[in-house]
Amino acid sequence: MFVLLRHLGRVRREIALPRAQRCGSLALRHVDAGSCNGCEHELAASANPYYDLQRHGLGIVASPRHADVLLVTGQITTRMVDPLRRAYDAMPEPRLVAALGDCAIGHNTLGDPAQLAGPLEGILPVSLRIPGCPPTPQQIADALVDLMLSSRSSKIARCGCP
Amino acid sequence: MSTRHVSIVPGLAPAAVEYVRAREWRMACERQSGAGGRFCGLFAGRGPMGLQANCVFAHADQDHVVCASAPGGEIDTIVDLFAAAEWDEREAHDCYGLRFDGHEPLRSLIDHPAEPDAWTVPIHGHDAYRVAVGPIHAGVIESGHFLFAVVGERILHLDLRLFYKHRGLQIAAEGRSLAEGLRHVQRVCGACAVTNTVAYAQACESALGFTPDRQLRQARTLLLELERLYNHLNDISAICAGVGFAPGATAFAGFKERAQRLNQRLSGHRFLFDTVALGASTLRIGQADALAAREELAALHQEEGRVWRELQFAASLQDRLDGVGALTRADAERLGATGPVARATGLRHDTRSESPRLAYRSFTPATLLRATGDVSARLNVRQIELEQTFAILDQLLSSRVTPGGVKPGGAEPGDFKPGDAALTGLGVARVESPRGETVCVVKTDRRAVERLHLRTGSYANWPVLVCATRDNLLPDFPLINKSFELCYACVDR
Ligand code: SF4
Repeated sequence: MFVLLRHLGRVRREIALPRAQRCGSLALRHVDAGSCNGCEHELAASANPYYDLQRHGLGIVASPRHADVLLVTGQITTRMVDPLRRAYDAMPEPRLVAALGDCAIGHNTLGDPAQLAGPLEGILPVSLRIPGCPPTPQQIADALVDLMLSSRSSKIARCGCP
Repeated sequence: MSTRHVSIVPGLAPAAVEYVRAREWRMACERQSGAGGRFCGLFAGRGPMGLQANCVFAHADQDHVVCASAPGGEIDTIVDLFAAAEWDEREAHDCYGLRFDGHEPLRSLIDHPAEPDAWTVPIHGHDAYRVAVGPIHAGVIESGHFLFAVVGERILHLDLRLFYKHRGLQIAAEGRSLAEGLRHVQRVCGACAVTNTVAYAQACESALGFTPDRQLRQARTLLLELERLYNHLNDISAICAGVGFAPGATAFAGFKERAQRLNQRLSGHRFLFDTVALGASTLRIGQADALAAREELAALHQEEGRVWRELQFAASLQDRLDGVGALTRADAERLGATGPVARATGLRHDTRSESPRLAYRSFTPATLLRATGDVSARLNVRQIELEQTFAILDQLLSSRVTPGGVKPGGAEPGDFKPGDAALTGLGVARVESPRGETVCVVKTDRRAVERLHLRTGSYANWPVLVCATRDNLLPDFPLINKSFELCYACVDR
């Protein structure tokens, strides 16, 4: 165990992430509405020690009822429209929807039109778009931190400092 | 002038196609398995005489496809002969309306009827109850629905309802050019992008009668192993996370990040997207870059080994692994399990040892001293495979990587018998993904895709997961699931 913890300590020192400006928090909920799993991998990677999204106060929560932001990935399939809407409806207000990745934004979608429900914009009000196929963990982290800082004024990001 | 390849390398010959009448279908399939053929998937299609059933069998020298027209849209089931055909028949029914005589009840798989009876196994008894999970899960996970039948905490049965992410990519590819087909296959799954596209490219090349040259074989093998590297690191991290052992999960997530950064440096993409092309490879890695990559891999290998040894002594991890989600070797074989899941039960099959279209020379599948088929065995087999992958990558990067192409042939021109792939335009390819054998069948029609069928390692293993969860505790399910670490996207397509 000692070797493992020393390894982790060294990794953190070598990566030497700058201190985050702790000025609030956002609770994130992810819904895969028809992705290729690439965007999920990168969203999960944004929590690894190289990006450490949590240090900004950004964390993934287990239920949409606890979430401020709904992160949607993938092309929206007809079978995911209903679960997606229900997740959104379960969120307390104020709430935001972010399209994560080119598919969710509606770029370059591929597939049988009979199975796809069209772009996310037509289903939920999208306020943040994070382009890329998939967006890198850094791009995801940057976009979410920007969102948190900009939404402080709109009282979505709970802020403890003056 | 084109040069002809003279000798026939086993496995390089295009698949043999056997057309049979509907009433001979079962017998023909039985004959194939009697001759040593391994069931590799069944799929429906449309032929000149209506619906068609096709079944792929892997043989050591040449793959076989049995095709039968199904007049009236019905054909005999083969699920009693090959239990692994269960999902295939259900899918063929849902997508093409092909009925299978004797497959009772033929539950829906892709369709999502509202009635639970239409897709679940009935449960009777006093204390049995159901627990439903999904399609949206608590973590950052793909979408899919699990319905458990439970007594107390013990799982009696698990009904899977996937295909929430069914995008119809196979159907959408039909009628398009082969290159467009590749884009569709690329989109199927991010974590298996290389495997799926290599399988598709090989199937097309086989259908058109081409074999890859040495450079192309090496480039594709390199990409496949880079894909396996980051996936196996990810899967070990996932198992640690599955028992809540955060230090192990974090360390391996860090290793995965390093592997993906290496992918970015070598190929320009963290998931190696769009690195596979039809009949060619554009991957170019100079001597200096190859050397630097080798050094990074050696450093990663060393650190990974050190942390892995630590995991052996972490009781809070190890105590959770033994005997959980155990799968017997007989069940694995019967259900057609593949990949690390199958090798963890002691089955010695790895498609890499029979891939003449790739550069795996004298490859031997990973074997465990104690092939217990449980979570612990699935974890350990991945570590052994990581060692192999590090060795293969080290060898492939010992010289620079240059663009490659294909050459005509693979068998002597005289060896193309009527009914062979070059004439019918049917290509079959099998490639080992991080999750098992992926089979791709492409029917070409004048350089367009007529029918595309992708049966991934995950597709083969999902029904096996059901078997492995039986009689386990419900709270152990996330761990068992993580030890399989199957893709939903690869199945839903
Ligand atoms: S944007 Fe790219 S990585 Fe993300 S789901 Fe779509 S295809 Fe996959």
